[in-house]
Amino acid sequence: MGYIDVSGIRHTLSDGRVLLSDVSFRVGDGARAALVGENGAGKTTLLRIIAGDLVPEDGAVARTGGLGVMRQFIGSVRDDTTVQRFLVDLSPPAVRSAWDAVQAAELALMEADDEPTQMAYATALAHWGDVGGYDAEVTWDTVTVAALGVAYDGCKYRELSTLSGGEQKRLALEALLRGPDEVLLLDEPDNYLDVPGKRWLEERLLETRKTVLFVSHDRELLNRVADRVVTVEGGSAWVHGGGFPSYSEARSSRHERLAEVRRRWEEEHQRLVDLVRTMQQQAANSPDMANRYHAMQTRLAKFEAAGPPPEPPPPQQVAMRLRGGRTGVRAVTVEGLELTGLMKPFGAEIFYGDRVGVLGANGAGKSHFLRLLAGQHVAHTGEWRLGARVVPGLFAQTHAHPEWLDRTPVDLLWHGEPGRPGVDRGRAMAALRRYGLADSGDQLFRTLSGGQQARFQVLMLELSGATLLLLDEPTDNLDVLSAESLEEALAAFDGTVLAVTHDRWFARSFDRFLVFGADGRVYESAEPVFDETRVVRAR
Amino acid sequence: MTHALARASDDDAAVDQAVLRLTAEFRTRLRPQVIGTVVRNSRRDLSGVPATALPELVERLARARLQSEDRSA
Repeated sequence: MGYIDVSGIRHTLSDGRVLLSDVSFRVGDGARAALVGENGAGKTTLLRIIAGDLVPEDGAVARTGGLGVMRQFIGSVRDDTTVQRFLVDLSPPAVRSAWDAVQAAELALMEADDEPTQMAYATALAHWGDVGGYDAEVTWDTVTVAALGVAYDGCKYRELSTLSGGEQKRLALEALLRGPDEVLLLDEPDNYLDVPGKRWLEERLLETRKTVLFVSHDRELLNRVADRVVTVEGGSAWVHGGGFPSYSEARSSRHERLAEVRRRWEEEHQRLVDLVRTMQQQAANSPDMANRYHAMQTRLAKFEAAGPPPEPPPPQQVAMRLRGGRTGVRAVTVEGLELTGLMKPFGAEIFYGDRVGVLGANGAGKSHFLRLLAGQHVAHTGEWRLGARVVPGLFAQTHAHPEWLDRTPVDLLWHGEPGRPGVDRGRAMAALRRYGLADSGDQLFRTLSGGQQARFQVLMLELSGATLLLLDEPTDNLDVLSAESLEEALAAFDGTVLAVTHDRWFARSFDRFLVFGADGRVYESAEPVFDETRVVRAR
Repeated sequence: MTHALARASDDDAAVDQAVLRLTAEFRTRLRPQVIGTVVRNSRRDLSGVPATALPELVERLARARLQSEDRSA
């Protein structure tokens, strides 16, 4: 049994900006609550406050049941942490401290073999048993077998950095879901998981009786798992008691309601101000009116002291305008194409206006295929050609732009590149504002968040005048609201779209699918296919 | 650190084996009765230690105490 009760939390950033103010909500026993909000809205900060990593400026967090935390960085651990240390760190505090005491006693025993040191070691071992350390080791064995297919003793000294991002996530999830903690905080648990991994996660979250608060941008996972949605926006938080399917409507209604209440408050405020002014004039002419004037002044002061109701959060700052343009009917023609060593020869015709999802196994050549169509050098045999007036624009995964890392968005827009004229600072800032990037215009690209980098890439596509969009995992780093904005922009785009994606929700907006199979076969499907396993190559 | 509950018979076996080995090691310097008493006292002082770790810890502690006894004799 466990719950989380967040009450009146306030947090100010080091630059003085109030990130969270009067945040209150409750996640009851056994609930599976999703925490959503724009990139940078304060979701991770809020999770850190609930986990006790950060002390809020004001407010309190109450909870019952042990707390298990899966942090965002899991999946990208590159230091020398071992599997054993990782599992210890995911354990309850009592197990962690007992383990540390045993380690310290063992080290001391190497230095001195006297009676006090031996007794200290014996005490540490007895304490390890008392806090359930041995039971934890049995659980870890189950966890490593389930996540890695290896017994705990066979992998406990293995460095976490030798595991893939998906394996690291899976290990942490198995440990937390099988562990004793009754309340789990999961920060982007689905990152690095492939679609079968995400489906596994959904099933496990649906069957667990633990209380779960999780951050995710995966709308399919939100849709299946969340039984309530906590939204962080406008510096505060509110809870939608229903699931994700009705969330969008609930959010719009809430914003309308807030706007209406605010409008009424402002109307009433204006009415009181007008009355005070009128009575002030009347009181100047008639002493009888003085009392009524003072009473009205008091009423206005009380009304103002109570303060206005909260304003609806500003509408999302992302307005993508992908225009495109009419091209030849056959936008892309592929005949007997084989990317060297990656696939069997295949052919395809993609027509103007098509929305093609490129799906399939990791390592099957999907990204290389997009890069080839974008005009980059990719070793291949067979034919491919673009139709008349087809201008390709590539959205690559963010790490594919090393040349941008030490430049700012304004600088990149200013200088332009072949096919994209440069723009002056005013126009650059106006464009950045539409993408919610105005405050980041003079920041180095490398310091932007994943979501900001992704939005900037879409802006570059917009300015390039592309009529064929080649998108490689465009929603990977986008928050839910930005992803929806991108979908709207793509729906309005006058041209052809090919997108590599593992985002099941995003894939629904496509009407054809090109599937790159693990066996090297490339085939077309009317429905999205996510079951292709990773391509196995000799290493 | 593998788990097992301590059982009296296992404990006795741990004590008996430790007595045997330590008697062989110290018999020229200490009387067998002293060795037996030190081992049993060590076992008693280590009550609460997980059973699987017990034989090693009992023998190790008893050896340390016997060496100290030997030095002071």
